[in-house]
Amino acid sequence: MGLVLRRLPAMLATLLIVSFLTFLLTSLLPGDPAIQILGADNANDPDSVEVVREELRLDDPLLVRYGAWLGDVARGDLGRSFRTDQQVADAILERLPVTLEVGGLAVLIALLVAIPLGTLSAFRAGGRADRVVTGASFGLLALPPFMVAILLILVFAVTLGWLPATGWVRFTADPIDNLRHAILPALSLAVGEMAVYTRLLRADMITTLQQDSITMARAKGIPTSRILFRHALRPSSFSLMTVVGLQVATIIGGAVIIETLFALPGVGRLLVDSILQRDLIMVQGCALVIAIAFVVINFIVDLLYTVLDPRIRYGSAATT
Amino acid sequence: MLAILLVLTALAAACGGGDDDDAGGEPTGEESDQSDQGEPVSGGTITVGLEAETPGWQPGSGNFANSGVAVAYAIYDPLVRLDENGEIHPYLAESIEPNDDFTEWTVKLRSGVQFHDGTPLNSQAMKTIFDTYLIAPGANTAGILRDTQLEVIDDLTYKYVLPAPNSGFPDNLAGAPGWPFSPTAAAANGANSGSMPVGTGPFVFDSWERDSRLVVKKNPNYWQDGLPYLDEIVFRPIPDEDTRLSSLETGDIDVMQTLRQSTGIRARDLDGVDNYEFLGNTTGTTIFNTTKPPLDDVRVRHALVLAQDQAQLIEVQGGTGVVPPSTQVFSEDSPYYSQEVADAWPAYDPEAAQELIDEYVNDPSRSDGKAPGEPVSFRYDCLPEPVLVDLASLYQSFWQEIGVQVELRQVEQATHVQEALSGDFQAKCFRAGADADPYVTLRNAFTLPSPLNFTRFTDPTIDEDLAELAASGDLDERKALVEEISMTINEGFPLSYYGSTLAVLAAQDYVKNVDGWTFPDGVRGIGTPGATTHWAFVWRTE
Repeated sequence: MGLVLRRLPAMLATLLIVSFLTFLLTSLLPGDPAIQILGADNANDPDSVEVVREELRLDDPLLVRYGAWLGDVARGDLGRSFRTDQQVADAILERLPVTLEVGGLAVLIALLVAIPLGTLSAFRAGGRADRVVTGASFGLLALPPFMVAILLILVFAVTLGWLPATGWVRFTADPIDNLRHAILPALSLAVGEMAVYTRLLRADMITTLQQDSITMARAKGIPTSRILFRHALRPSSFSLMTVVGLQVATIIGGAVIIETLFALPGVGRLLVDSILQRDLIMVQGCALVIAIAFVVINFIVDLLYTVLDPRIRYGSAATT
Repeated sequence: MLAILLVLTALAAACGGGDDDDAGGEPTGEESDQSDQGEPVSGGTITVGLEAETPGWQPGSGNFANSGVAVAYAIYDPLVRLDENGEIHPYLAESIEPNDDFTEWTVKLRSGVQFHDGTPLNSQAMKTIFDTYLIAPGANTAGILRDTQLEVIDDLTYKYVLPAPNSGFPDNLAGAPGWPFSPTAAAANGANSGSMPVGTGPFVFDSWERDSRLVVKKNPNYWQDGLPYLDEIVFRPIPDEDTRLSSLETGDIDVMQTLRQSTGIRARDLDGVDNYEFLGNTTGTTIFNTTKPPLDDVRVRHALVLAQDQAQLIEVQGGTGVVPPSTQVFSEDSPYYSQEVADAWPAYDPEAAQELIDEYVNDPSRSDGKAPGEPVSFRYDCLPEPVLVDLASLYQSFWQEIGVQVELRQVEQATHVQEALSGDFQAKCFRAGADADPYVTLRNAFTLPSPLNFTRFTDPTIDEDLAELAASGDLDERKALVEEISMTINEGFPLSYYGSTLAVLAAQDYVKNVDGWTFPDGVRGIGTPGATTHWAFVWRTE
């Protein structure tokens, strides 16, 4: 609880800064959002343009508009999209499960692959397996998610016909079909992540494996697998955990492209469409939710440090 | 490393199927032969892959691009549409007639038609829709219907009263202003009515997950007996061209829509897929801002047109052998196409272009204010799509050949359109023309203060001819007027053409009659303009 209270001001400040910068950037986008909403055919109808501008408060100064938006947000109202007539919060909540599922699945796949490969690579550092894993990691790091996505569609959807190329089925409608639709997008995002995780874990674990405690464990005759996964993995996971938290931003960035490629109804696609259509209130809502997700996940990562290494917990207790 | 190289090679092959895949080569496939569609079969579901999502479905508030229109024709019926000869014909309306000077259009509605919620379609419903939703400030149809009024005559008859003669007015009623929707449902659903459309169409709205799927089901009480054939249609927006095509190839979807001719041409090569192609009055153009130096000088615009080889411009878009070159905003199939205008359009002639540009460059009073001898320069904006990037580069190389310096700039769609509207540009790639009445097309594009006159090109002769065109219902007279206007436009060179554009509905071969829709009186419709159709007439055999 103490940690939460200590972090709260910084987290709120981060959200304020992100939301203001988003407001500033969207206001700098060229063109009149009112005309974008009305369509070019109606740009000569001043009454309609005026109504839309008034609704969007486009004639107010930037700070006044930001203050009004912030006041609404404080009351739990993210606004209503003039373009879609939909409540911003509803639109985001409708799409959030898709982005969370695909992103979460991507992290899970990346960790499931990276942990054994990174451990093996560290254990056999300099050996053939290490060279193969290291080489493959470098190769995968060079591949952007959209290229991976195209290759996966070509192989698993077009050639083999095992998985659908596009679309989404909600988990509540059909869990199996939901997974079939989620695998390729998640894999597309996971490939780059697994390479990063593998490289990090390998580096940290090589250091851990050189420590006296591991030498002692070996001398005691503890099986290698137990040494690696029970004694060495936990202290080697700090960098990995930090990067998993920070990579949330990368996954969200990737989701913007992946959701468009795979035609997924996620927050990333909503954000892109809203930017292109100058649906500023929706852009602002999406940016806020993404910022909250980023801050919360990194806060959870901080909490996990104390689980991985009790010294942090005791240390913090001693100082309070 | 070898494995990585193999992966990269495979990726390169996979990505090679992109927009510019066919650039420079003859297409291997052909448009499908749709002469034998067999007998209609009732039942079944199809899934249609669309170019984009539509923000809302109520006319007046929803913005309907081609992807939106494709769905709208399932839920709504248009009052009128174009027939196979490109002429307006009543569809949901029983008749539509003008008065003598085309300032009033009287519409007679069919009797016994109901909206999906049971509300009867009558004149009062049309009046409520018109006044409350279509011309209200903030409605995106208010500009088109500006200063127009709707007056009820009797239960099934009403008239549009226009501020000035307009023989092309019914064209507006083929679009959103002419799609009746239930005023009862709109009032009941309030702000959410765009999410729950209620029309008179062959399919009833069932559900909508934005950016994922919209489902419509057969209207059992449809006013056209025996229609529709299908039980259900699922519309899925799939914005990426490649993955939409892959979805068709894998059978995830049964029909796909595309307005990218390179994608349409690739669909020709898919096994078991029929292409329904439409080459309408839309053409790719470069628009010159005739108010911005140096493009405000007709010599410069003329030189730029002479310096471009349209055959190569079409080739770089992968359209060789598929789309014809353009010389005007009407295609050869249109009754308003003029051979005289086509013959007068200059052929590729870099020497003549050089002479004209030299004349401007050495003119002491040249409009761009530069000293004589300094090269002409301007900025060319286009969208960041692979085909268009290649197209812009080719333009640049043509114009550099005559010493014109061109700065290429990529802009996203919203900015592109807004700059065109505000006149904040010198030259842009753009589409021109529409499958609409020529009066509407030409008035929008070549008069002021029309916001759609992106080139800002005007001419008193055009204004006079348009006034006559608006007040004329005689086809021969109208053709002569359109020919004169087209000639005047081409003499001023506000546009250069880079080829007609192709709209394609590609369907699995078990989906039939995609372009075979007809009017209630049996007259054949125009087909699939903008890759849209009337789904009531489509059936599947498997």
